[in-house]
Amino acid sequence: MKVGGQVDSVKVIPVKVPQVFPFPVQPAPQGWGLYLHIPFCERKCPYCDFNTYAGLEEMYERYVSALVKEIRRVGDVLGRPVVRTIFLGGGTPTVLSPQGLEALFRALNDAFAVQPNAEITCEANPGTVDRSRFQVLHELGVNRLSLGAQSFVSEELRFLGRIHDVRDIQQAVDAARSVGFENVNLDLIYGLPGQSPHAWRVSLQRALACQPTHISCYALTVEEKTSLARWVANGRVPPPDEDLQAELYMMAQDILEEAGYVHYEISNWARPGRMCQHNLIYWRNEPFLGLGAGAHACDLRRRWWLERAPHIYIRRVIGDETTVVGWEELSSQTAMAETMMLGLRLLQEGVSRSRFAKQFGVDPVVYYRSVVARLQAWGLLEVLPDRLRLTPRAYTVANRVFVEFL
Amino acid sequence: MNEDVLPVETTETRTSTFPQERIRNFCIIAHVDHGKSTLADRLLELTGTVDPREMQEQVLDSMDLERERGVTIKASPVRMIYRAPDGQTYELNLIDTPGHVDFTYEVSRALAACEGAILVVDASQGIEAQTLANLFMALEQDLEIIPVVNKIDLPAARPDEVAAEVAALLGVDEAEVIRISAKEGTNVEQVLAAVVERIPPPSGNPAGPLRALIFDSQYDPYKGVVASVRVVDGVLRMGALLRMMSTGADFEPVEIGIFAPDMRSTGVLGPGEVGYVATGLKSVRDARVGDTITEAAHPAPAPLPGYKRLKPMVFAGIYPVESDDYNALRDALEKLQLNDAALTFEPETSQALGFGFRAGFLGMFHMEIVQERLEREYGLDVLFTAPSVAYKVRTTTGEELTIHSPAQLPEPTRIEAILEPWVRLEIYTPVEYIGPMMDLVMKRRGIFKRQDYIDQRRVLLVYEIPLSEILVDFYNELKARSRGYASMDYEFLEYRPGDLVKLDILVAGQPVDALSVIVHRDDAYRKGQKLVSRMKDVIPRQLFDVAIQAAIGKKVISRATVKALRKDVLAKCYGGDVTRKRKLLEKQKRGKKRLKMVGHVEIPQEAFMSVLKLEEE
Ligand SMILES: Nc1nc2c(ncn2[C@@H]2O[C@H](COP(=O)(O)OP(=O)(O)OP(=O)(O)O)[C@@H](O)[C@H]2O)c(=O)[nH]1
Ligand code: SF4
Ligand SMILES: [Mg+2]
Repeated sequence: MKVGGQVDSVKVIPVKVPQVFPFPVQPAPQGWGLYLHIPFCERKCPYCDFNTYAGLEEMYERYVSALVKEIRRVGDVLGRPVVRTIFLGGGTPTVLSPQGLEALFRALNDAFAVQPNAEITCEANPGTVDRSRFQVLHELGVNRLSLGAQSFVSEELRFLGRIHDVRDIQQAVDAARSVGFENVNLDLIYGLPGQSPHAWRVSLQRALACQPTHISCYALTVEEKTSLARWVANGRVPPPDEDLQAELYMMAQDILEEAGYVHYEISNWARPGRMCQHNLIYWRNEPFLGLGAGAHACDLRRRWWLERAPHIYIRRVIGDETTVVGWEELSSQTAMAETMMLGLRLLQEGVSRSRFAKQFGVDPVVYYRSVVARLQAWGLLEVLPDRLRLTPRAYTVANRVFVEFL
Repeated sequence: MNEDVLPVETTETRTSTFPQERIRNFCIIAHVDHGKSTLADRLLELTGTVDPREMQEQVLDSMDLERERGVTIKASPVRMIYRAPDGQTYELNLIDTPGHVDFTYEVSRALAACEGAILVVDASQGIEAQTLANLFMALEQDLEIIPVVNKIDLPAARPDEVAAEVAALLGVDEAEVIRISAKEGTNVEQVLAAVVERIPPPSGNPAGPLRALIFDSQYDPYKGVVASVRVVDGVLRMGALLRMMSTGADFEPVEIGIFAPDMRSTGVLGPGEVGYVATGLKSVRDARVGDTITEAAHPAPAPLPGYKRLKPMVFAGIYPVESDDYNALRDALEKLQLNDAALTFEPETSQALGFGFRAGFLGMFHMEIVQERLEREYGLDVLFTAPSVAYKVRTTTGEELTIHSPAQLPEPTRIEAILEPWVRLEIYTPVEYIGPMMDLVMKRRGIFKRQDYIDQRRVLLVYEIPLSEILVDFYNELKARSRGYASMDYEFLEYRPGDLVKLDILVAGQPVDALSVIVHRDDAYRKGQKLVSRMKDVIPRQLFDVAIQAAIGKKVISRATVKALRKDVLAKCYGGDVTRKRKLLEKQKRGKKRLKMVGHVEIPQEAFMSVLKLEEE
């Protein structure tokens, strides 16, 4: 493994020549997935370790300008490449002004050949949207909304430090529908300390009542350096109970399946045909670009990542410097391991043996034969004629499977 | 490079050797932490042996482990040149020794290379167990003793009282006891002067056939076995064909030199001198500590008295975590043994753990140090099983077997009696802690023998007690119950029959031989329960339920279940997470490597050590 860095690259580059990537980027003939990061939130939630900041309202406009410039120059050096999906995430993209959003989309459409049927998702916080903001997004071409509902129980929303309440979620969904959004995802979090199975059932059922096309359920995870981690460390909050989380997970499986949702990824359920196309690109280990502070990208030869701090990110773009601050060249061994670790998250389609063989020149069942045999013996892996996938009993212990491929 | 620094002198080619009458060989002995290494620092400074810029605290404690723990583990020799007030130049060979009871063997070997010893006693602590144990060893070797009371700068110091105690002990005048602060350097010159005045020069025969005693050794990949030697008779020089008197191995030295304190080649060591010989020998078996080196052309008629081999007190299995490392482990143990003459080992096979070794140690601290050295110096991932003493078994057919591990115990029907080692335990304690000491010993099957007042404040308690009872946590308890003031020493007494049973641990229905322990029947039930609950805590959850049971013979006396792992999955993994999540999983995988697969169950090192923790809480 080779990890690069900004310092190495600037040495060989003459100053002031606009430099977008410190290495050649491989073309993506099938088209890119494109991720755009907005690192701002109205308030930082205590459990969140995303690259996002509260209280930077002053910076929004400059950030949008920088991002617009970045979009244009990236599109430029890559020769206006094809884009299959766009995902506007954060943070909370909906904190931006309609003008800001409009500028971003104008740039996107100028700089990239966005496919006509492209899935274009925007994340939204039920506390920061109203009908007019949805209207704007819809007019700009956004055709999928992902709402951070998290819970339909008021105390839970308070514990999670969310700025919205239960009513806001319902209103946000209604508003989205009324302006024409059909494809709506709701994010839920489960396994909060002390959460009862009953409370979880309530959240699931009320989420279902909103009739989303897609539901993500995430186990509450204590991420390092978050407020939640500090509370757990000093005993103010008990750590999440993993047995309880496993139980709640299985409840979600039953309830959502019953309601007609397909459990297609470890934490994601969708109505038939409504899987998130953008996220599928990640799990199928296909190429994607990331723009904006801290965004990651991958062209299958390497993974790279951009400056995280918004103000430095802006400075670099303005100064015509690259925003890439690090990268990792992928050996074929690493690429294979990642393909397994990501693909096995897809519970139905798993890892396609023929696609794997086409990319790496070897059938994964052959390449990983002893691992596969072991995992089969443990009842954690299923080998089908053209795919490898987890058995249902492996869903809750999938890391045990992934580590075997590393 | 700084231009003021003179190039370090690496060779000191000498044609003649130092006159014997101006050589003094001595070691520093004391109870642990009384300040031996700190005193050595001052002596090195006073004689200008170590460049002031290179100076650091306890500079002779050069192993990382020693520095981290602040404890001397290895005896280290160093040569100093001292210009005495009388204008004469002397060669002083000092050996700093460890004070911990587990490393007594290091001390005894160092003593044999010396004519004198500085006995250091902490002015705030007074005489303690290893003060006496080490002093007696030095007296047995007829060494001249220079008593020193150290740490007189401490507010709690009682220099007069302690000096009186020491003088009484040695039967000398109080004025002969030197009062110093090794830390601040107070009166340290007096120590040097006393060394020159009181310690006799070596008395070997300079013209006689060569005899040099190997008192320590280490392995160097380029120079082979490097022996630390004390030349007694004759001259050790390059070019001569040398011979190990007990193994008969001949060799031509690769390098001869002194410790200054780093190895410095001199090409020659004269009679009475201390230094090293790089033998070029690759087989560690050819160069034994305690052997005598002579010249092949003019061999000495008889070797020097060697060392009596120490019987290890504690035994434990050592297994490579990865079975491929077996040969590397054997190699490492052989090399380590060269530098740690008290370590013994022989191959052993465990049903649960595969191929490994049964090793013998002088005590638990010794075992811990060996484990750390194997891991650090040899980069091995090893697993130690619970320590055990050596038992003797009388069988129904009248045989007597010695067993070093519970797994070697014969079928219960073949056992007539199990005998366990008993020791004579001496505890030195201030009088106010007599009660707590009594209590501690009685709880562990100790038998009170005697109580002697050393003075008005301190008392010597003598007990007989099974060795197994003092192995684990006893020393810590002793310290805890006496606020650190009590100290102890013990020596083997005899084997006595005991009402002992083997406690087996079954994991997932299978007995794991490496987890068995031999316990007193009265304790079996309690220990079995504790062991099971301990195991339950340390065995990580697996993909299935794992039953843990403790049994005596066929009878299960305790059980518990490690519930199957319910959840081990990362909730999210999107584009920006891949690298980080992969690294997290890689870390998880490395963690798993430290677990030993026993059947289908992954068992961590702590499980094997659970038996050690039984007395806690
Ligand atoms: N105040 C004071 N502290 C001292 C003096 N001499 C040594 N010490 C301290 O006592 C502690 C032990 O000193 P060492 O020199 O390592 O003792 P040691 O006898 O070599 O110990 P072992 O080799 O482990 O048996 C250290 O923290 C020293 O700094 C002294 O004269 N005065
Ligand atoms: S709104 Fe979302 S991105 Fe923002 S802090 Fe909360 S969880 Fe994180
Ligand atoms: Mg020391």
